Amino acid sequence: MTAGPGRVLRMSYIVACVAGVGFFVMSVALLGVWPKRVLDEQTRAMAPEYPLALTASEIRGRAIYGREGCAYCHTQQVRYLRTDMTRFGAPTLAWETHQDYPHLWGTRRIGPDLAREGGARSRDWQFVHLFSPRVVVATSVMPAYPWLFDGAADRPGQEAEDLVAYLDSLGRAREIAGPEGEAVAREGCQCPDDALRQLAFEGPLSAHPAKSRRVHDAPVLPTPAAPDRGRRLYADHCASCHGPLGEGNGPGAATLRPRPTNLVEHEYTDERLADVLWNGVWGTAMPAWRDWPLEDLAAVRDVVQGFGVSSQETADSAVPSDPAAETLGGLGARVYVANCVQCHGETGAGDGSASAELLMDPTDFRRQRPSQAEGLRALQSGVEGTPMAPWTSRLSNAEMLAVAGYVRGFYEGPDR
Amino acid sequence: MHAHGVAALVTLLIAVLFGIVASIQLLYPDLGASQPFLTWGRLRYSHTQGIMLGWLGNAFFAFLYHAVPLLTGRAVTSPRLGRWLFGLWNVSVMAPGWVLLLAGYSQPLEWAEFPLAIDVVVVVGLALAVAQFIPPFFSRGLESLYVSSWYIIGGLVFTLLAYPMGNFVPEVVPGAAGAAFSGLWIHDAVGLFVTPLALAVIYFVIPAASRRPIYSHFLSMLGFWLLFFLYPLNGTHHYVFSVIPMAAQLGAITASALLGVDVIIVVANLLLSLRGSGVFPRDPGLRFVAMATLFYLVVSIQGSLQAQMSINQAVHFSDWVVGHSHLAMLGFATFAAAGGLVHAWQRIPWARYNALAIDRAYWLLLVGVVIMAIDLTIAGLVQARLWQAGAPWMEAVQASRPYWIVRSLSAVPLTGGFVALLLGLTTGPRGGGLAAVKESAGLETVDEIAPQLSPSVAEAR
Repeated sequence: MTAGPGRVLRMSYIVACVAGVGFFVMSVALLGVWPKRVLDEQTRAMAPEYPLALTASEIRGRAIYGREGCAYCHTQQVRYLRTDMTRFGAPTLAWETHQDYPHLWGTRRIGPDLAREGGARSRDWQFVHLFSPRVVVATSVMPAYPWLFDGAADRPGQEAEDLVAYLDSLGRAREIAGPEGEAVAREGCQCPDDALRQLAFEGPLSAHPAKSRRVHDAPVLPTPAAPDRGRRLYADHCASCHGPLGEGNGPGAATLRPRPTNLVEHEYTDERLADVLWNGVWGTAMPAWRDWPLEDLAAVRDVVQGFGVSSQETADSAVPSDPAAETLGGLGARVYVANCVQCHGETGAGDGSASAELLMDPTDFRRQRPSQAEGLRALQSGVEGTPMAPWTSRLSNAEMLAVAGYVRGFYEGPDR
Repeated sequence: MHAHGVAALVTLLIAVLFGIVASIQLLYPDLGASQPFLTWGRLRYSHTQGIMLGWLGNAFFAFLYHAVPLLTGRAVTSPRLGRWLFGLWNVSVMAPGWVLLLAGYSQPLEWAEFPLAIDVVVVVGLALAVAQFIPPFFSRGLESLYVSSWYIIGGLVFTLLAYPMGNFVPEVVPGAAGAAFSGLWIHDAVGLFVTPLALAVIYFVIPAASRRPIYSHFLSMLGFWLLFFLYPLNGTHHYVFSVIPMAAQLGAITASALLGVDVIIVVANLLLSLRGSGVFPRDPGLRFVAMATLFYLVVSIQGSLQAQMSINQAVHFSDWVVGHSHLAMLGFATFAAAGGLVHAWQRIPWARYNALAIDRAYWLLLVGVVIMAIDLTIAGLVQARLWQAGAPWMEAVQASRPYWIVRSLSAVPLTGGFVALLLGLTTGPRGGGLAAVKESAGLETVDEIAPQLSPSVAEAR
């Protein structure tokens, strides 16, 4: 090689080396520094004035979440895609993540996304699930974390308390910012023409819509195609708490308060089951299942209604066609008006004057009919984990028997 | 060098064991449930850090001790520095890193799970590696550098630059912006550390073992610069449809497509250089790198495709991506690293070498990685279909089980292959590799290899 081309070659390599480092710097500038500036600006413009920060316990929980690799199976990033949004809610905004040191977005979803997990499930459910996941989610592949507990699911250690506190905080800041927060964000976004950015303001902010206790429109469930599918879905997803035969005695029931409903002892209207499945039951471990297809919800509804049938006739036959029935009914009505109406309402709709003060809705007897025995049991022992207390000190056995029968009359559903 | 090679294989087996246990835990989730250090999350952290830094890091360092003197005609900087590097990497990074991960000290960042204290030591280690291997290249001027040399310089220098970005920056830059930096490193770990060093091995072993020069030095250099231009620009494609500015996402997606073009150039050049050697060359080192080249093509085209929005929205978050990363780290990088180790081992007069075990290792690894990659790709498609159909979430988990069983079973040939590789390089007669080379084609010397490596050196002589 002659000297001339050699020098040219040498020069070109020096240029290339400088350019090589330049490329790298450029990548950091274009894909790191510049996005950071844009996202910081977005956060400034779109965040509520005082976004809710994490408590000390939640910050400790966050560290445990990181330590155990939770982010490697659960993402915390709802993408700007319909498929993500229908399942997990509104897409993640920049300001929602601005306290995450480091971020926990994740790139694999074996379990569901947790960006809006806050309030989606009750604390006692979360504890059982961490202590022994398959007790409540039969087909789960999640590891168990028993060492966060003092030997039992209802004896959480400090670490379990912290972790569940953190899980309950996910998505909370935006949910609490409410419609006002959304309006601020929409204004700060200044993205009227950007269809993708507009998506950010669609989709629910809370995975547990029943929490607000407003009436939530549940869809009318269609007629399910395959009864087999309903039975399989029930076995995989419901039996862990409600028991294989609906008796409320699944393995997950042990530490849940209130206990999972004994489905055999209740009748439900279609509308009530659609509401329960779609919105969950706030104040209990029953989550919302609205990420399911409607056909699947309908299939499960039919299975649940199937449980109620068998016991019903025996319970019914105990009350009517008895000459004393009228008297019993009269007694029941009197007892109900004197003791129950404040919460359960005059029409049994669960809308009594005191119901607004309660943490959870009183049973709506128009849409849900307990059997005589179940009603009596609730009156005698109360329902642990709910405002329903035992009435044995106030009511006689005859009165309890009478009112347990009386409330059954509110039911508006068809007799099955 | 020998020490690095053995350490590579030992850390490989440990890291593979972590991976196997983690994969079986997806089938039997209560396995090891009462022991915090045996939980899936901590094993998963240990698996990838072990593969990247323990196995590939050590294997590449071992190969550099063979290649750098041959490429430059000079010894590496200092044997004493070498002992420090070895000690630092294995005693101060891998051993305490794993212990800390399993004990619960980590950071939840992909390809950056070792805690900050270990990250500092890694950066020192990378600096030592730069000091050990780079200076010899500058002794003879840049114009006589062979493409492997470029990749070695590029790989070591840019890893030193990129490592802090994924390991330190997200700790101080929160949320979405931190994820943007994290995405850069997730890709740079593969693109600026693993890929350049693996390509350095491939570019070195092909001419050295086949005794034919590289097809085109121009294409080599074109491929090299395109790679270093495009690879760092890929990072954001890990967060498509996120809140990260769309321009950055689209830029990264475009760069990902162009990267596929670059890989086609590189692989075409390598395959043309392999003309006459067949798909399964007789020389074991060459056979490993030939397969690594094919894996590189497949995994890169796959990567270019899955970065595109239409495909990404379906398969992102699924096992498809897990299959993709195994095709990259286990198919491409591991085959290249193994080829480099075998090739170097054959040329150490006193090293033990067991030709039969090496041969078995090749086939076992090939079967294992092909099964795993195909299996996980299908699993990813099944999961994606169920997610898109809106099926109950657990249906996708239940549907994955048969594929997870096959994935765990693919560990059988893979583990067998890795054990065979370890046996191949630690048992058998001393100098067995040299004998094998002599037998097949005659002993190579520096003088014989050098002209094939760089035409300008040949002309200078």
